[in-house]
Amino acid sequence: VTVALEYEPVLLTHPGRTTPVSLSEYEAEGGYVGWQKALEKMTPDQVVEEVKASGLRGRGGAGFPTGNKWGFIPKTPGAKYVAVNADESEPGTFKDRELIEIEPHRVLEGIALCCYAINAETAFIYIRGEYVEAADRLEAAVAEAEQAGILGRGCLGTQVNVRILVFRGAGAYICGEETALLESLEGRRPMPRSRPPFPAVEGLYRRPTVINNVETLANVPAIVDRGSGWYNSIGTPPRNTGPKIFCLSGRVNRPGNYELPLGAVTVRELIDDYGGGVIDGKAVKGVLTAGVSAPILSFDKLDTKLDYDSIQAAGSMLGSASLIVLDEDTCIVRSAALMEEFFRHESCGKCTPCREGTYWLHKILTRIEQGRGVPGDLDLLLSLSGEISGKVLCALGDFAISPVTATVKQYRGEYVAHIEGGRCPFEPW
Amino acid sequence: MPLSATTRAAICQLAEQYPERRTALLPALKLAQVDVGYLPRETIAETADLVGVPHSAAYELVTFYTMLHEERVPPTVVVVCAQLPCALRGADALVRDLQAGLQREIAAGAVEVERTSECFGACHRAPMARVNDRYRENLDEPARKQLIQDLSTS
Repeated sequence: VTVALEYEPVLLTHPGRTTPVSLSEYEAEGGYVGWQKALEKMTPDQVVEEVKASGLRGRGGAGFPTGNKWGFIPKTPGAKYVAVNADESEPGTFKDRELIEIEPHRVLEGIALCCYAINAETAFIYIRGEYVEAADRLEAAVAEAEQAGILGRGCLGTQVNVRILVFRGAGAYICGEETALLESLEGRRPMPRSRPPFPAVEGLYRRPTVINNVETLANVPAIVDRGSGWYNSIGTPPRNTGPKIFCLSGRVNRPGNYELPLGAVTVRELIDDYGGGVIDGKAVKGVLTAGVSAPILSFDKLDTKLDYDSIQAAGSMLGSASLIVLDEDTCIVRSAALMEEFFRHESCGKCTPCREGTYWLHKILTRIEQGRGVPGDLDLLLSLSGEISGKVLCALGDFAISPVTATVKQYRGEYVAHIEGGRCPFEPW
Repeated sequence: MPLSATTRAAICQLAEQYPERRTALLPALKLAQVDVGYLPRETIAETADLVGVPHSAAYELVTFYTMLHEERVPPTVVVVCAQLPCALRGADALVRDLQAGLQREIAAGAVEVERTSECFGACHRAPMARVNDRYRENLDEPARKQLIQDLSTS
């Protein structure tokens, strides 16, 4: 048995807590020190440089270097915006929810620092409509910070203004796609925009805009307060620095959020040492590492380290680090059908290959699962997938084919057993 | 049914709050829905007029978002997440138990129980259900019995 790592959390510093950390508690634990430091001693460019040097990469899924993203914002006069992506809707992902519900001020401090760095006075937090409790807590925290003079007009007695608005969505996964999020904020149907222009040049209200995930911004206060050198001591530099929250779900004994340095543990160690192992001591069949949006890792890849590059080298993506564990009793075909049902439901309908393709992929997977598959269905699934990939405006199309292509490739035998046997060989679950 | 004076005032205030008025459209429709209970055509039109956008602009949001309803919904809507993480922890059995335990309420139109493929971000507390605007999580045997009791009319 491996001993769990000695590690002091940076983001979720109150494990097990259910109530939000208040402003006074947050300040007593060093909160808003980074904000004060930036306002008193740093120029906006210095904040950008510090974040660049930290190596922080976007925690929403794409892993793009955050400091570089901020650096793309032109220095021309006029309004600029920060849009915070809190539309957390990827199956298996529940980290931003906990950050917002328990550590709302850490998120707000990160947003304030981003606003300062790019010279924006207004930030929108786009939070999914179902997160009612989280949105209520965020609004309460904004009011607390404004009343204390930390945020709002003339932050901490300076000339800097930061207005943070909580904007609630209404049930649409696509709003987590950054340009669809902007469309939603502008009161339009949330369908992705074609790029270029990129949001850094023409974003919200056609103005330069930074769009960052909640967890990404929650890393920034500690980077500014303690410095990029300290941040680089966490994780696996140079490309995988800092802490990451791993959402563990599925057939494990202790599902939950586990904050660990990037690259510190393997998939197997996360499941066994933190998640308490698989339910009933069963064997792992496969693990999805990026929710349902990237290829499944089969059981022979469990010793892969949990960081962006290692997971990519193993054939998948770390994404939002949402690990869904499938055990030996889990039917892969049924799992793929469920995942595809999600994409069929969430495709916004703008691009024909995705709108029609997800419908057909789901239909074919369902018939195979129900024992009505026909020879040739696997080739049909793969050729259909090829007609979606790369032929649509946003990443959803490519996400939508991975449950199909990766499972057909890695678990072909299960598909064949369904088709040849005329029924699902697994117990229903 | 026209919007109440309070809702009309709240929508007008929202529209002033944002850099562009149209940003207020989605929150305005949500306010209108709370007021009227759902979003019939005349409510959509009235909301659009207050924000200052074409009626079609408001209508296309109503038909897109799953949380906006063109038709009346029962007073209690229970939505069980049945996406993979929840399915792996007994979501289907939860749907069956709730449908069986709330048969009378469902027949009377007081409660609706549905499954969804959408994930609600509660996979670590699966199985779960959204009951109107609030989450009920870790719905093991005792917890689901409690939920059924809370929602039953008898």
